[in-house]
Amino acid sequence: MSLDVVSRPPADVPQGGTVAPEARADDVLAAARGASWPGASAEKHFLRYGMMPHMLCPGCGHGIVLDAMLRALARRYETLDDVAFVAGIGCSSRVVGYVDACTLHTTHGRPLTFATGLKLARPDLEVVVVTGDGDGLSIGGNHLIHAARRNIDLTCVLFNNEIYGMTGGQLAPTTIPGAYTSTSPKGNHEQPFDAARLVEAAGGTFVARAQSFRTRDFEEIFLRALEHKGFSFVEVMTDCTEYFGRTNRLGNGADLLFSQARADVAIEADLAGRPTLQEVPARPVRPVMEMGVLHESRRQTLEEAMGLVEAGS
Amino acid sequence: MTRVNGSNGKVPARTPPARLESGNLVVVGVGGQGVILASNLVSQVLLDAGYDVKKSEVHGMSQRGGTVVSHVRFGPEVHSVMVEPGSADWIVAFEWEEGLRSLSYLKPNGVALVSTERRIPPAAMLDHRDQSLEYPALGEVPFGVLALDTFAVAGDAAAAVPAVAQTVLLGALSVLLPFPVEAWQASINAWVPRKALTGNLRAFERGRALAPEVRAAEAAARTVARTVEPGPEVVPSASASPVEHDGAKRSRDGVAERLLPVVRIERSWCKGCDICVAMCPEKCLVLDELDVAVFARPERCTGCQLCALLCPDLAMDVLWVPADDLTGWLFANEEDRVRAAADPR
Repeated sequence: MSLDVVSRPPADVPQGGTVAPEARADDVLAAARGASWPGASAEKHFLRYGMMPHMLCPGCGHGIVLDAMLRALARRYETLDDVAFVAGIGCSSRVVGYVDACTLHTTHGRPLTFATGLKLARPDLEVVVVTGDGDGLSIGGNHLIHAARRNIDLTCVLFNNEIYGMTGGQLAPTTIPGAYTSTSPKGNHEQPFDAARLVEAAGGTFVARAQSFRTRDFEEIFLRALEHKGFSFVEVMTDCTEYFGRTNRLGNGADLLFSQARADVAIEADLAGRPTLQEVPARPVRPVMEMGVLHESRRQTLEEAMGLVEAGS
Repeated sequence: MTRVNGSNGKVPARTPPARLESGNLVVVGVGGQGVILASNLVSQVLLDAGYDVKKSEVHGMSQRGGTVVSHVRFGPEVHSVMVEPGSADWIVAFEWEEGLRSLSYLKPNGVALVSTERRIPPAAMLDHRDQSLEYPALGEVPFGVLALDTFAVAGDAAAAVPAVAQTVLLGALSVLLPFPVEAWQASINAWVPRKALTGNLRAFERGRALAPEVRAAEAAARTVARTVEPGPEVVPSASASPVEHDGAKRSRDGVAERLLPVVRIERSWCKGCDICVAMCPEKCLVLDELDVAVFARPERCTGCQLCALLCPDLAMDVLWVPADDLTGWLFANEEDRVRAAADPR
């Protein structure tokens, strides 16, 4: 007898697949290297195909940023053998696990220190540091300003989703005033960091801010950051759908993306509609942030000062 | 581990019904299905009936859609919180695969109430067999397993809050436990959020109305070990035949070889976040019943790439393919398209 199923059996799910069982060994190898499907765009070949699909939540902006970074790298490099990704801890830092480059997943807040050592040992490597707002600004805030001060030739991308996503939606140093998080149930009373201006003040020579929604703009900015000699810092605004979006009732991933496009008006309006709390001095207002390249200058990098690379190259 | 009752070592206030001295229940499912809530709810009923109840749960991976297991043990006095394998009187499984996985906990004459809902974890897609997963065959199952399509049973009760459908299983479980329906309703009242209360009560009623089927499963469980054919398996459906597409309306001027845009979607990577569906200016994309994006209206696609650029799962590519080859390129998505057209969301 067959199993008793009340009402109807589970829906048939069609079989299908990218790699057929009889696929030749080199096909399998190609698939493992990232050739995911015929005609896949160039950046897909930089993925560790065996690691996909990634662990990010549905609608998470980090995936969009990862895609844009890979697109920029595909315009500059044929392979990522001479590119090193260094990441700390957090949702943002997990994305390096999906990139088929030299990757280093380090301790919380310390990707820039590991990257500094890596860059000094191997000045020929293109070192990209992927960090988040909690990782790079909170526990790793000091490392960030000192990396900027030293002007070491790194490219640091800070994924700013305004919350601690991986650990359960706690208040981050970038959470906007009035926003609700799991550790600010009455709304945030604190002022957020302006990460880009912080790095500029600390001595970073390329400082930019971008959005995950304007993904082509971010791609261009990231490409310029890669080409820049000196400490390049790109803050990219992404959306946490599960903790920031849901706790503040801002909708799903698509709604959050659209809210970026509307210069944060939607978020202000939505947060302003919440029940008034006397303790919160000002209504939550996400500052309308300047986007694009905010600062660019040229001064001696640490490697040049140490004689590891030729000056002025 | 969560202890529900603080009466360790004390004599319960009321004597439990003589009919059921003690019991072990295992509730399993995946994150977000309400496994913990359901086991709290059952525990409340048992506590109100005067039992000593201990409950423990494993929910570490729940936020990533991972497994959630809750053990509920009750009796005059309970010492250990864990149900030993082979000693559960009842299993309530909110998810098909988790149900099969947990069958080892069941007594030879125990009853398992298993929802046919399937939540395929991302890790299981690593073999890249689009959305399909070979569930283990049941083989020889010496106990009563009742599979319930909870969504179909719950019907409109689960229309507002889908998770409510699983309450059907509690309704079915209530048939096997000697407690009045009022006790269950009181427990639901106490534990369920207001917005889902009506739906839960109705879904519970519908589950309880399945008493004949549940009794039959219970009776089957009491018979000696019997051979059961393998349970419902994933059957490969016949390949859909390529459909002719007229690309004449989409010719691009000045291009010698006419190229047409095709959105290629890696179904096993898509998490159904809805961004591409919301962003597509021509509304070419829809989500199917598995919450996977499908290229439903290829004739409207302009190849703007918004979907591919904004896909957080990197699951999309826009390819420009020769018009002559279009059917071949669309073939990969054809099955999806047909399915989506039949059931647009």
